Amino acid sequence: MCDYQKCKHWGGNQDYTSTRNKRKTHLCCDMAEVEDTLKRIQGYNGVIGSIVVNAEGIPIRTTLDNSTTVQYVGLLHQLTMKARSTIRDIDPQNDLTFLRIRSKKHEIMVAPDKEFLMIVIQSPTE
Amino acid sequence: MAERSDLKAELERKKQRLAQIREEKKRKEEERKKKESEMLQRTENVSEDSDLDRKRRETEALLQSIGISPEPPLVPTPMSPSSQSVSPASETGSQESIDGGTVGRTLQWDTDPLALQLLADSVHGCKMQRLGASKIVQIDFIPKELVSYSKETQTPVASDQPEEEEDEELSVPKSEPVPQQLEEEKLQEDEEVHPRELTNEEKEQIVHSEDFLFFFDRSIRVVERVLAEETDIFFDYSGRDMEDKEGDMQAGSNLSFNRHFYDEHWSKHRVVTSLDWSPQYPELLVASYNTNEDAPHEPDGVVLVWNMKFKKMTPEYIFHCQSSVMSVGFAQFHPNLVIGGTYSGQIALWDNRSHRRTPVQRTPLSATAHTHPVYCVNVVGTQNANNLITVSTDGKMCSWSLDMLSQPQESMELIYNKSKPVAVTCMAFPASDVNNYVVGSEEGTVYTASRHGSKAGIGEMFDGHQGPVTGISCHNAVGPVDFSHLFTTSSFDWTVKLWSTKHNKPLYSFEDNADYVYDVMWSPVHPALFATVDGNGRLDLWNLNNYTEVPSASVTVEGGCALNRVRWATGGREVAVGDSEGRVWIYDVGEQLAMSHTDDWSKFARTLMEIRANRGDEEEEGALELPA
Repeated sequence: MCDYQKCKHWGGNQDYTSTRNKRKTHLCCDMAEVEDTLKRIQGYNGVIGSIVVNAEGIPIRTTLDNSTTVQYVGLLHQLTMKARSTIRDIDPQNDLTFLRIRSKKHEIMVAPDKEFLMIVIQSPTE
Repeated sequence: MAERSDLKAELERKKQRLAQIREEKKRKEEERKKKESEMLQRTENVSEDSDLDRKRRETEALLQSIGISPEPPLVPTPMSPSSQSVSPASETGSQESIDGGTVGRTLQWDTDPLALQLLADSVHGCKMQRLGASKIVQIDFIPKELVSYSKETQTPVASDQPEEEEDEELSVPKSEPVPQQLEEEKLQEDEEVHPRELTNEEKEQIVHSEDFLFFFDRSIRVVERVLAEETDIFFDYSGRDMEDKEGDMQAGSNLSFNRHFYDEHWSKHRVVTSLDWSPQYPELLVASYNTNEDAPHEPDGVVLVWNMKFKKMTPEYIFHCQSSVMSVGFAQFHPNLVIGGTYSGQIALWDNRSHRRTPVQRTPLSATAHTHPVYCVNVVGTQNANNLITVSTDGKMCSWSLDMLSQPQESMELIYNKSKPVAVTCMAFPASDVNNYVVGSEEGTVYTASRHGSKAGIGEMFDGHQGPVTGISCHNAVGPVDFSHLFTTSSFDWTVKLWSTKHNKPLYSFEDNADYVYDVMWSPVHPALFATVDGNGRLDLWNLNNYTEVPSASVTVEGGCALNRVRWATGGREVAVGDSEGRVWIYDVGEQLAMSHTDDWSKFARTLMEIRANRGDEEEEGALELPA
């Protein structure tokens, strides 16, 4: 987001990092956090991969190879839409918050949102 | 007719030229190989000849390039003596040149210098020494991070920005209609295939957007909790032996290690300065950290909110501040607010509803507020009428309203005997008392103080410690007998003392420690139980109903760090300890020790009487009975 004074967080008491290329970035906008966080997720026990997808079903960030990503995204996007519509059909006031698919080999966790989708594939520790 | 003959002659010459080129090429390749093997065997004479020849040819090539044609007979004669040795290629070439005429010679000259070049190279190759790689030993020192401030002002560069924005705008609408078309086409073809790939810039745009960060922040929290769980829902009790279950064996022990909280990035090399448990969510723990001297670019003050309920090792919330946070607490009647007192005297307020890591409100750095480090923050009062009380080391006590931190509602100098202000290091309010409190000072004296009333300010002085008082705790447990006049203090003089507000001398002194005692806290449920931590890494639990000489349970934390803070959880079953390396250790207290029985109160009353009796025997008449 940043560029400090042009950022929407500018104004008032703002703390910033002073290093990144000697330009100030708001601490809240420090983008390295997103990458580091994804790396950290990848480092969890048994995690095979993680994918972040936008509303159209296009992967934005992924730690898997392209073909696998495309396959997972295509299938899981549809499944999530179907699951969400199922919940909504049963009760229109309800909405899908988390989807967990447990199979013999893996567990696929999908954290949906209005606009994005986060998919994490973990193999259970036995 | 003449034209035809001319044409024919030209054609013949061209054919000859082509043939020459082909032959020369073949010969050159062969001779290159021959030359390489020959040159290795040759002596210097040969090389000299070749040098001479080379020089001659070079000069003649230069002349030729200018336009002066060399005399044909000169060409072959210098070469004949060395014909055997050096360059059979040039010899044959020269012969060919004679045949081919001037046209052929140009070709020969063109190609010869290249041959000469090769010769020269191979000659030089012989003479040059063989160079080999030497082993390089590389030593890397991590450069010391120097804090640098860019002195230029960051006024927006107006000229660059509009261009960039325009570019972005241009690129975005362009890309949108194009992929839409593509999408439509592909959808018509095959709906399962992905419409398009996003370019890296588009991805960066999305990742930088506010919505994405919001989504990411929330989802990551949930996903991490889920990932950290290692429970196996398919566990089959019938198939496994019960011997695998070792975790339950520790149920009998009094004090057992549960888990520890440590963040590689935010809590490394920082001292835990304060801890607090949340009153609303008993599993949330907030810890404040000191500066990290190894990383001067990181913010000086860090506050992390940890979650006990889930096994994930990352903090729930991370908050920063530009000055080290010395004391922190959850705002008792505002579930979303975290209050921190900093080294600079500012009080910072963080809100976990906002997605910022920086304080949403801060008190000003002015003389009306604090200008010295604030070691004590406390919210007292009721839901409707509550105040934030802060005391700094220059003896100033300020009372604030959480809605407005721009100036204190009231402030007071804590002065004893109208002479000198009290340098307050710790403060405690007795349970359900909003007016009177006790403070410990750097000189080793403890004072009672009150906020309002006729005796506003410092009341009595309690003298007993020989070193600065590091921790003070008022009796918390509520039960049949009221012990709220009791408080304990810990100090650098290796002792922990038990006091009553009615006597200005300590009731009892606990001297089991062998290092500075950094903190003490009464258990919230058990009347006779309190915990202390010291500089040796020892956590002691004292149960005064059992023994008063030695702690009832003791454990030394691994790592050999000094323990700075101890806090009981609201249920009285867990103890959180913060150490000097940035780790927060959670210990479970065994049930027999932690849980109180109905007769514990009466037992404690008897213990107190015994203590008083013993003290009365030992002491002379120095003790004053203070009005309650």
